[in-house]
Parts: sequence; C-alpha cells; structure tokens
Amino acid sequence: MKRSRGLEVLRYALLSIGLVLVAVPFVWILLTAFKRQVDAAAVPPKFFSPVTLANFTTLQGDGFFKSLINSAIITVLTTVFTLGLGVPAGYAFARGRFAGRRFLAAFLLFSRMIPPVIYIIPLFLYYYKLHLVGSFSGMTLAYLTGLLPFTVWMSAAYFRDVPTELEEAARVDGAGRAKAFWRIALPLAAPGVTTVGLLVAIAAWSEYFIPLILASPTTAPATVGIVDLIGVDTINWGAMAAGAITLIIPVFVATLAAQRGLVRGLTAGAIKG
Amino acid sequence: MRLIDSREVRAPAQRRGTSRGRGTPLGRFVERHFLGAISLPSLVVMLAVTAVPFVVTIGLAFTNYDLVQSAWKFTGLANFDRMLHDPQIPTILFNTIYLVIGTTVLDTVFGMVLALLLDTRVRGAGVIRSLFMLPIMTAPIVVALTWRAMFNNESGWINYFLSLVHLPQPIWLGNPSLAMPAVLISDMWTGIPFQAILLLAGLLGVSKDLKEAAASDGANRLQVFWHITLPSMRPVLFIAVLLRFIESFRKFEGIQILTTGGPGISSTPLNLQIYNTGLFYDQVGYAAAMGVLLVVMIAVSVGLLYLVLGRRR
Repeated sequence: MKRSRGLEVLRYALLSIGLVLVAVPFVWILLTAFKRQVDAAAVPPKFFSPVTLANFTTLQGDGFFKSLINSAIITVLTTVFTLGLGVPAGYAFARGRFAGRRFLAAFLLFSRMIPPVIYIIPLFLYYYKLHLVGSFSGMTLAYLTGLLPFTVWMSAAYFRDVPTELEEAARVDGAGRAKAFWRIALPLAAPGVTTVGLLVAIAAWSEYFIPLILASPTTAPATVGIVDLIGVDTINWGAMAAGAITLIIPVFVATLAAQRGLVRGLTAGAIKG
Repeated sequence: MRLIDSREVRAPAQRRGTSRGRGTPLGRFVERHFLGAISLPSLVVMLAVTAVPFVVTIGLAFTNYDLVQSAWKFTGLANFDRMLHDPQIPTILFNTIYLVIGTTVLDTVFGMVLALLLDTRVRGAGVIRSLFMLPIMTAPIVVALTWRAMFNNESGWINYFLSLVHLPQPIWLGNPSLAMPAVLISDMWTGIPFQAILLLAGLLGVSKDLKEAAASDGANRLQVFWHITLPSMRPVLFIAVLLRFIESFRKFEGIQILTTGGPGISSTPLNLQIYNTGLFYDQVGYAAAMGVLLVVMIAVSVGLLYLVLGRRR
C-alpha cells in the first residue's frame, strides 16, 4: 500500500500524545520524590521545588528499607523455587505424552482463571493453624499459586523451540533422559528460561495482595510497606514517591535485561552449526 | 568398508540398550517415566496451593465459619440465601460488570488503535514500543498510589490541568458516580499498552500479500482493516480479550488503594467485597459463598466470550 505523508504525520502526532500520557505519572513520581514535604502537597500543585533527599531520610526512619530487604528475600526465594519446580515440568509438557499431561494442561488454564482471593482464604486459615503467617516460606508457597503455572506454560513454549533431534542424537549415543534434559535441552533453552525467571522475579517483587494477607509487620515487603505511608488524614506524598522510585528502578533494570534475553538466536543456528 | 558400515549402525543401538538396562530399579523407573517424574513435584505443589484451597473454599461456603468464633457448623444454603437478600449485592454485581466490561472494552479498543500506530518499521519504532511497555512493568501498587495522587482534588495534577483549560474539576474519588470512571482511567494507563503489545504481535502476523491484493482491488484502508486485518487477528484478539477479562475480575490494588471501594461501596467489585467480608470482617463462610459466585461469573463469562469470539468460522 502506498504511504500517505499526512497519515504518517498523524501517526507520530498520536504516538507523541500517547508517550506524554505514559510519561506524566512517572514525571510526577520523579518530581515529588525530591520535593520538600510542603511543596509535595501544595495547592495548586507546585511543579518545581528545591531538590531535597529528605523523603529518603523519612523512609529510612520509617523502616522502609527493611521492607525492601524483605522484598528481595521473597523475590529470590520465589524465583528459585518457581524455576526449580516449573522448568522441568515445562520441559515434560513440551516433550510429549505422560500420565497426567492432560490434567496438567487443564490445571494450567484453571489456575489462570481463578482469582487469588479464592485460594487465599483457606491458605490463611491453614497458615494460621500451622503458625506460618508472617513466614517467608509460607509466603513463597503462596506466591507459587500464580507463578508456577505461568512458569510451566512459558518454559514449555521455549522448550518447544529446542529441536528434539539434538536430544535424540545424545540418547542414541547413550545419554539417559535426565542427561539429555540437563546437558542439551536446558542449555539451549537457557535464554528463554532466563527471561521467564526475570518475569517471575518482577511479578514477585510487585506482588501486593498475598503479602497484604500473609505477611507480618517484620516480614512485610516494600509493596505493603509503602501503603503504610498513607496516614489517617494526610498522605506523605514525597516519601511515597521516593518509595515508588525504589520499587520501580530494579524492575526497569530487569526489564532491560529480559529484552536482551528475548533475542532468541541460539536455536536458529543449533541444528545447522 | 561393509564392516565399518555395520558397526556404525549397530553400535548406537547397543549403547542405548545398555543405558536402558543400567542402574537401580528406581533409576530404571525414572528413566522410563522421566517426563511424568519431573513434572510430579510441580503438580503436587499446584494441587496443594490451588486445587485443595479451591475445594476448601467451596466447602466453607456451606458453613458459618468465622475467624473470631472458633465453633462452626454446616449451615447448608444459608449463606446463599443471605446473599439473595443482601442489599449490597446488586450494587456489587453491577460494579463488577461495569469494571470488567469497561476495562476490557476501553483497553482493547484503544489498545488496537495503539497497536496500529506502533505497526511501523521506521527507525526508533523499537524504542517507542519499549517506552510504552514501562507502565506494564510498574508494580500495580505504585500505579494505584500514583493515580490516587493524580486524582487528588486539591494538589492533584488532573484537576490542575482541567482548570488550565477551564473545564469543571470534579471531586473524582469522593463522588459515587465518578469513582469507577477514575478506576477505569487509571486502568487504561497499563491496560492499553498491555493490549497493544499483544495485538501488535497479531498484526505483524497478518499476511501482507492479502492486504496488498485487497488494496489493488480498490479497497480503502478502512475496508482492508475491517475485512482483512481484523478477521485474521481473531485468535489473537480472543486471547487478548480473555486475558483482560480475567485480569479485571481480580483487579485489587487499583481499587482498594485508589478509591478504597468507595465512597460507600460505589466502586467495590465482588473481588474486593470478598476480601473485606472474609479477612476484614472475619465472616469467612459468607465470603467463601461470594467466592463461589465469583467463580461462576468468571466461568459463565469466559464461556460466553468463547461463543462470541473464539469460535472458528
């Protein structure tokens, strides 16, 4: 189709408006985090104010940095367990028929559809009885409800891209199935599995609902900690924006890394090379 | 020459034979049922953390279980009977439908527009796409808190911008008829880019030859979009709408933090009502019964969606 110059101009005009709308909340966070408290709540809003790090000092005084450490602990635990359990299952799912495969497939769909609030009430009751409320292990287990099916599904998609010929060749040469998985399939799917791991880590880092119910004040992650900055009648917007920055930055770094992992070139050359 | 040939053929077969016969009985069992064995731990964990709680929730729906009182008993359909007479339930159901249809329609329609805008191959297109992905990657709690600040009727930026162009500046979060629109607006900030990224993948898969053939037959851009692009995107569109649907039923931070479900219950959907009833007011049995209602609503609407969009012609 021939390109019309007018339409291309319109395209960029609309995309620019879209980017401005995407940017506005980020700009608010960035400006507010470094404002003095009086300027952050000024009426009408004051866009610029003397730059101060006072909001980050407030966060430190409120113990917010402790909750960031909790976030990191939960994120690492969840990512390790989710990948450890889910990636082998994803491989099995991609590679063929076994008892329970159809059950697994139905289950993946089922767990995608049911909202977490349905699982969380009984989990809370169990944990209450077992004194697991507030424990990192209990929270990690609850995070698996959504993230484990996601991992199985996603890693299966990446394993499907790994040609079976390589594994068959290895098995003809005497390797067992475990060795074929560990030495051939897993390294070839590694970029994909890394991407899945980053997405799981981002989701765990951003999770709010599960720790809202299952965390204790000492184990609460930053997503829950940041809400504590909402006072009874006033909100400390500056401290909140500063906290938001600490939650956003690791995710944006991980997103950049995940984009690199998304570039899948490895399998393309594997069979010919 | 023949000798070498036959050895090459036979040797691998022999080695495979030894690998099957080798090892302990357990090792042999794992070798034979390898795929089942390595998926078993995942399956067990998923059963424990999702299937068992799901069944327990259904069971709790028929009890008067309460977090405060330790004694409980089966009460049959009492919770469901109470739901029928609960004056809040009609509002809650209306809010749920409003939320789910509102977010899905707005996000998908504008997401399609954004996807069409992003479907270009000029330099910098990749960077622009990445920038549009940033809201998707931002923690929902940060999105909710930030929009709460934006909608603030005193120091919020939205009303300030409205005042600059001399438009009315409503009290967004304190007005029962504007709280849900505020939820939808803040949802669009992440939902439109989310739908656009999904739909863009579908757009890139539409046959160029088909579009060019239609254009050379005299179809204009709108006709090409309506008769070629949209029908070929049907599977992707179905997935995108389905995911948004499911996501909207479980939307939590964007309501609990932005409007706290209020004023009153004017922006409380079923998901938040279950949380409030079960974990805030401790009425676990009644909350579980509402949970059953939520699951039924999701199952029915996903079924309807499948009938409307998912059917192959």
